[in-house]
Amino acid sequence: MSGPAPEVKSVWRLIVLALGFFFLYMPIIVLIVYSFNDSQLVTVWSKFSLRWYKELFVGVQQQSEAIRSGVLLSLTIGFFSASFAVVLGTISAFVLTRFDSFRTKTLFSFLTTAPMVLPDVIIGLALMLLFVALENMTGGLYDWLNGMKVEEGTLWSGIHSALTYCASKIAGWPEKGAFTIWLAMVTLTSAYVSVVVRTRLQEMDNSIEEAAMDLGATPLKTFFVITIPSLFPAILSGWLLAFTISMDDVVITQFVSGPGAKTLPIVVFSSVRRGVSPTINALASIIVLVVSVCTFIVWYTMHRKDKKRQREYGMMSVRQKAEREKSDTPKA
Amino acid sequence: MKLKTSRLRRLHFRGSSCVIGAPYLWTILFFFIPFLIIFKISFADVSDTSQPPYSDLTSYEDNHVNIALNVGNYLDLFRCEDEEDCNVWKIDYDFLNFESVGLNIRDSLKGFFDAISTEFHVTIYIEAFWNSVKIAAVSTLICLLIGYPMAWSIAHSSQAMRSVLLMLVILPSWTSFLIRVYAWIGLLKPNGTINNVLMWFGIIHEPLNMMHTSFAVYIGVVYAYLPFMIMPLYTAISRVDNSLIEAAEDLGAKPFTILTKILLPLTSGGMIAGSMLVFIPAVGEYIIPELLGGPYNILIGQQLWIDFSNNHDWPKAAAIAVAMLLFLLVPIIWYFKQQKNEGVSK
Amino acid sequence: MLEHKDGQQKKEVKPPLLVIKNLSKSYIPGVLAVDDVNLTVNKGEIFALLGSSGCGKSTLLRMLAGFEKPTSGKIILDGQDLSNVPPYKRPVNMMFQSYALFPHMTVWNNIAFGLKQKHMPKDEIKENVEQMLALVHMEEFADRKPHQLSGGQRQRVALARSLATHPKLLLLDEPMGALDKKLRTKMQLELVDIIEKVGVTCIMVTHDQQEAMTMAERVAIMDCGEFLQVGDPEEIYENPNCRFTAEFIGSVNIFDGVLGENGSDFMYVECPALQNKIYIDAGAAIADGMKLSVAIRPEKITLSKEKPQQECNFEEGIVDNIAYMGDVSIYLIKLQSGQIVRTTLPNVDRFRKNQPTWDDKVFISWEPDSCIVLTI
Repeated sequence: MSGPAPEVKSVWRLIVLALGFFFLYMPIIVLIVYSFNDSQLVTVWSKFSLRWYKELFVGVQQQSEAIRSGVLLSLTIGFFSASFAVVLGTISAFVLTRFDSFRTKTLFSFLTTAPMVLPDVIIGLALMLLFVALENMTGGLYDWLNGMKVEEGTLWSGIHSALTYCASKIAGWPEKGAFTIWLAMVTLTSAYVSVVVRTRLQEMDNSIEEAAMDLGATPLKTFFVITIPSLFPAILSGWLLAFTISMDDVVITQFVSGPGAKTLPIVVFSSVRRGVSPTINALASIIVLVVSVCTFIVWYTMHRKDKKRQREYGMMSVRQKAEREKSDTPKA
Repeated sequence: MKLKTSRLRRLHFRGSSCVIGAPYLWTILFFFIPFLIIFKISFADVSDTSQPPYSDLTSYEDNHVNIALNVGNYLDLFRCEDEEDCNVWKIDYDFLNFESVGLNIRDSLKGFFDAISTEFHVTIYIEAFWNSVKIAAVSTLICLLIGYPMAWSIAHSSQAMRSVLLMLVILPSWTSFLIRVYAWIGLLKPNGTINNVLMWFGIIHEPLNMMHTSFAVYIGVVYAYLPFMIMPLYTAISRVDNSLIEAAEDLGAKPFTILTKILLPLTSGGMIAGSMLVFIPAVGEYIIPELLGGPYNILIGQQLWIDFSNNHDWPKAAAIAVAMLLFLLVPIIWYFKQQKNEGVSK
Repeated sequence: MLEHKDGQQKKEVKPPLLVIKNLSKSYIPGVLAVDDVNLTVNKGEIFALLGSSGCGKSTLLRMLAGFEKPTSGKIILDGQDLSNVPPYKRPVNMMFQSYALFPHMTVWNNIAFGLKQKHMPKDEIKENVEQMLALVHMEEFADRKPHQLSGGQRQRVALARSLATHPKLLLLDEPMGALDKKLRTKMQLELVDIIEKVGVTCIMVTHDQQEAMTMAERVAIMDCGEFLQVGDPEEIYENPNCRFTAEFIGSVNIFDGVLGENGSDFMYVECPALQNKIYIDAGAAIADGMKLSVAIRPEKITLSKEKPQQECNFEEGIVDNIAYMGDVSIYLIKLQSGQIVRTTLPNVDRFRKNQPTWDDKVFISWEPDSCIVLTI
């Protein structure tokens, strides 16, 4: 006999929950309340006002403009890195759970999940040094080709000038900016996707994939027709996770971004360092609202689907009992 | 016929290795190689003239390949050359003073203590590292003490409430980390909400100085990482078979015995996983001390950034990263082992 | 072994379809999960692999389906060597223990899945699926998803799905494993009905001897990766060739003894646990004084309060325990040597009048031809 944890009716349980959630939510609530404060001094209440929201959306302060362009950049980077991370993470999860063990499997599984636990400063520094090294390499290649002495008019000179042209195009690649942030975010977030998808894959009944192959579907087809649809909820939550993480990252972005690419978190961080600002409060409130609504929608649809499934099954067991009795008996 | 199938098989094999290859290649290029580069640069010299600002390890001169490994970056972490650079730690022997019971160990051992210096000269790096580990460890413990009762309480709510409460625990961590830390600035400031409320109630008459202290950093770390503690704990607690608890009750165990002999051992996996998820990133934490901490108790993550960005000493920053990585290797491997065991037992 | 071979060739001989030659599989070097198995299954036959968990029966089935690669040996189906054919190219379909219905597809699409992989024209698929739905009486459930079906219904969909592509060989992995006990008996007969109607050759794996004996025409008893005995259910029950089979199928009383007198058509066995000799009316080509065991099924032992009028094949004991099973009562009789003998007594009378009760002195006896002589 195994049983799930039963409900315990105790005052202590309620007190613990109340205190815990008070701790978790009090700062956020205070933050939201003060975003409606008219005063420039964030913590001194004067009167209700929406001026900071107005400032955020249409204001001409340098800070609000930086925030608005930062939001756009962050959304773009977040979307593309989440989308690519989902592909990479799903494949790596599939390889790690469904392929027979290959020699470097343990190392591979370690490497794909390590970005999740390592401190951001280390990852940031590592990636930054990589990008600088790549930049040097591409630059060096161009210099080397350019500095070469070639006889005019030969076949080799034609090849050489074509190569030099190509090298001049990639010289200095990857320039630090949105692209390097994207690379870094894919590396970081594909680890999270991989873990989320792997958990689902391990729970999934292996035999439905075998059944598909048994019925004549090739492994590749099985992956797309059977595995991917069954993984869809996990892939979706992996995407959302990857998106929020890359929308939120400060430390790694600070290392790998160039002067031009100011993502939202970088803008917020540099302004918050100078102290509290009511515009940031307004921005934070909007973020909290958007995230809450999205989380609630996702949670609610999942919850309802669960319930619907349970109800259907429960109803079936009552309604179909007679029907089942009838239909389970062969009709001769 | 036979030839055809074998060619197909080979194609299939190539296809599958391409599939394995994509994430593999990515991981090696953007995760493994960067660490080799860090390792390499940590042995380089700072150079003001070149761009990027570090020297090459190898140089080619007179038909000789010279390899110059500079271990100075690592030595600098431990060694203080001039007194000004170093902080002084004093060991206070007063705790050995039991004069009230007629025993004075301090005096009787005085000669011994005088022989070994009572002052340690430590570099800013050691100090920053010590601060980081201390803050991470204490915060992990506090998270565990808050998180365990909460996880237990959620796991023992009614079925319908459970998913609501879980969602509420995760929700803050889906909003911005930065904003959650920022929220505490408004609370902890001298004229912030907490001080205002306490003064309004008349509990204190002067504002407490909480902002820019270690206390603020502790609060920030605990607050930011608490959900990461609660989630694995919840999973572990809800996975405990309730009939085991009933069996223990049936055999006459009291609630405290059940907690220490049944529940805690069975949920140790969740406790380790949660603790590692808090401890490891907290050691390298940068945002929280930067926003809430003071200018004196610098943490190692900040020190790395200072060396990298302000001092342009990339080799030193790399050396710090390598040292940190080596230190964190033990808890990281522990965490992975734990995850693997969980997978097996499932 | 013993001469009870008459009347074996009553069934018509069908051509062989599947030939398994020296098939072995080992996961860990040195440990064989399937150990040098040879088997021929005829066309249209329902064949059962029976064994306890971990005996290698599932590994054998998965090798037939193509999910496991044999370490050595050959699988030949209808003249084609399957050893290196991937599962999706084999004319073999499997019904999984968990049924493995695709959760995101309707019943209709589940059944059509295999046909779509064969790139069959749409109208043919439709025709085929409808035919299959009719075969398993699931027409009105075509648009349901698997989670909206009951256990028995799911099983029938799984069966229809694996039959839809008209495989040469159908594999059933613990077909009744996911059903509750009452439904099992019903479905066993229905499944056999459908399989026979389609005429497909079928190999099933089960650990339930009753299931194997109801459904299969021939049964193989497996232990430690080897076949111990292959035969029809009656042969295996009445003529087990070793102790494991005798004990695995049904219950049995085993007396260890030594061969006493041995003639051409009779023998006496002396057992230390018995006071009287056992007389068996069949000869055996074994040396005198050899150690052997005699197995007697409980239902072949007669229980009486009076001493039977015979010289051998009876024993005296007291009733140690009675288990009332409804149709029969199981009596455990303690012999004077201390060995417990199990016998059954049909409950002909409603109030069990005149039946022996606890601690009664009783006699057990059996016919000479009820004894099975086992040497291993």
